[in-house]
Amino acid sequence: MKKFNITYFISFVIIISLNFVLGSSNLFAQTKKAKARINVDYVKVMDGEHYLNIKASARINKKTVVVSDIELSILQEFNDEEIEIGTTSTDASGMGKFIINNFEDLQPDSLGVYDLIVSFAGNELFKKSSKDVSFRNADINVEWIVKDSINYVNAKLIDTQMDSAIAEMPLVVQVERLFRPLVIGEDSYETDENGEIEVAIDDDIPGIDGNLDLEVVLSESDDYGSIIAKLAAPIGTVIVEESTFDQRTMWSPRGKTPIFLLALTYSFVFIVWGIFIYLFFNLIRINKS
Amino acid sequence: MKSREQFIQDLAPKKFTKAEKIWLGLLIIVIFAGFLAYVDQVRSGLKVTNLNDYALWGIYISNFVFFIATSFVGAATVAILRLTKNAWRTPLVRIAEIISLAAIIMAGVTIIIDLGRPDRALYTIIYARFQSPITWDVIIIPTYLVAIFFLLYFPLLPDLAILKEFYNKSNPRLSKWYGKLSLNWKGSTVQKALQQKSIKIIAVLVLPLGLILQTIDAWLFSSTYRIGWNSTNFGPYFISGAFVAGVGTLVVTIYMVRKVKGLEDYITDYHFDKLGKFLALACLIYLYFNANEYLMPAYASTVNEEVHLDTLFTGHYSTIFWFVTIGGLVVPVILLMFKKGRKPLAMFWIGILVVLASWWKRYIIVTPTLLHPYLPIQGVPESWRDYFPSLHEWLITGSNLATALLILTLLVRYLPVVAIQRTIDESELENNGQIGES
Repeated sequence: MKKFNITYFISFVIIISLNFVLGSSNLFAQTKKAKARINVDYVKVMDGEHYLNIKASARINKKTVVVSDIELSILQEFNDEEIEIGTTSTDASGMGKFIINNFEDLQPDSLGVYDLIVSFAGNELFKKSSKDVSFRNADINVEWIVKDSINYVNAKLIDTQMDSAIAEMPLVVQVERLFRPLVIGEDSYETDENGEIEVAIDDDIPGIDGNLDLEVVLSESDDYGSIIAKLAAPIGTVIVEESTFDQRTMWSPRGKTPIFLLALTYSFVFIVWGIFIYLFFNLIRINKS
Repeated sequence: MKSREQFIQDLAPKKFTKAEKIWLGLLIIVIFAGFLAYVDQVRSGLKVTNLNDYALWGIYISNFVFFIATSFVGAATVAILRLTKNAWRTPLVRIAEIISLAAIIMAGVTIIIDLGRPDRALYTIIYARFQSPITWDVIIIPTYLVAIFFLLYFPLLPDLAILKEFYNKSNPRLSKWYGKLSLNWKGSTVQKALQQKSIKIIAVLVLPLGLILQTIDAWLFSSTYRIGWNSTNFGPYFISGAFVAGVGTLVVTIYMVRKVKGLEDYITDYHFDKLGKFLALACLIYLYFNANEYLMPAYASTVNEEVHLDTLFTGHYSTIFWFVTIGGLVVPVILLMFKKGRKPLAMFWIGILVVLASWWKRYIIVTPTLLHPYLPIQGVPESWRDYFPSLHEWLITGSNLATALLILTLLVRYLPVVAIQRTIDESELENNGQIGES
């Protein structure tokens, strides 16, 4: 064990020395203010929320680090005026989300473009910075149709301001899943001159009770941001859930312990402790005899 | 041939000597320091330890497994030697029973110390889930404790009656206690029949209970899907390991008791020689299970096993691993092969080596596995990649070991460590040309 302790001692001394040297350089680095970089994506969920996905990061010592717990103001730029529409902050992973509660109150410019600015006022560690995001309002109208006993998803992308179809835009068709969506068919489908796509859905995709939660997504478009349209359709294969929830198994809660285990444990306890009681009475009999 | 009075005079418990009082004082100081650390742990929570989400079982569980292993010595020596009718067991079994009792009490205490909320310990019974090995442990530990108590108490009855008479004039108060505890033992035919029957029952019962205790302890680990634990070998591996830890502790204790109490006439070189062979056998069996436990995974060399075994063979824990394997098993076997190695003093040092190695063995069973989970360690503090016990943990561990030694010391002080009546009976039978096997 002597060698073991010496090894620990030497490691300790080295770690302390390294910490002294490296620790001091970190302190030096923190005296300079870094610039917070802000990335913003606009996301619209059809018949749902409009929101901004925000990510803040910075380059410190040639490494990209997340910038957490900073206050951000969200402004709308309209007629050379900046009007604050709300605030948000980043979490421990540098991510923030701002839900635009009253999208109808936002004013587009004459070309139908919405201009929003995410602004950071700066603090003792980071310089002030901002990022603007511009987008036009668009809709994806999605429906489920059947042709020749084959199920299709039909989606149409429309510019709401111009009330016109948007052609040559990539749309992804996917099924919602627990960890990440399952993409159907090709990676994406380009809209035709009518702004439409039509994608066949295989009938062997499993879903709870045969229901599929389909999504058609326009992803991070320069003009329109991201748009997600959802559609529930009973066109999947029914999942037969082999649940042992109501059965007595080794992984059940204590109220559903397997009978054999209860019998074994109780038998053991009653037999052994029964013998103990017998031995205890023997002690009493010895005392009395 | 010694007279009955001489036997009683030799074997009756004696007052603490000055050295024993100093020993007792040291134990109390260590216990007190550990108690203060434990109070702080209860107040502040387990944050005072170096346990974390990865090393969630640390030194406390190592102590627990060590105490469980050591407690096996009662079942192993008493039951095995009794059932195989080995007459040389007589001066050894009571000490083995006392060690077992102290160890199993401390195993129960240690597991409560490991709880962040000891006030919720009762929940393990109130909300017991029988599918969990932890519940099996909660059942078997008190059961084994009661069995060991009976195993110690029934053979004590005649000796307690003898001590009642012996201290009648010199220490009436002590005599009164011995009288109460002897349950009016007169040595009547009915009493002897009841006692012998009870001893036979408990001797037969304690061996399976000891095996179940060790196996459940092993299953706490092997039922967990982790590298180095999820092994079908673990039950016998733990039983053989317990054999080594228990007999090693017995050797050290017997040497100390013999020296301090002046029992050289009763615990002779012959007993150490026999015990040495017993220990060598235990070490060899354990070596065999160690080979199974490490060589097969090393041969298969799956990625995760390789990382784990590298840590043990050549990495961070290699010093402890080789000390445990070479120092704690191979060297004792080699030394015990020679007659000189089975002499009392040599046996004492071998015993110390074995006990130390046994404790560290539990440490390297528990800790390295926890630091190599199947799911990678990601996005957590760097300190979680390693574990070394904090000062609180060391103080509480020291206190646990000291408490076990305190229980041992007090029992050795007030109980006859060599069975008086049985020694007298055997001496008479020996003189009549027979050797008692009851």
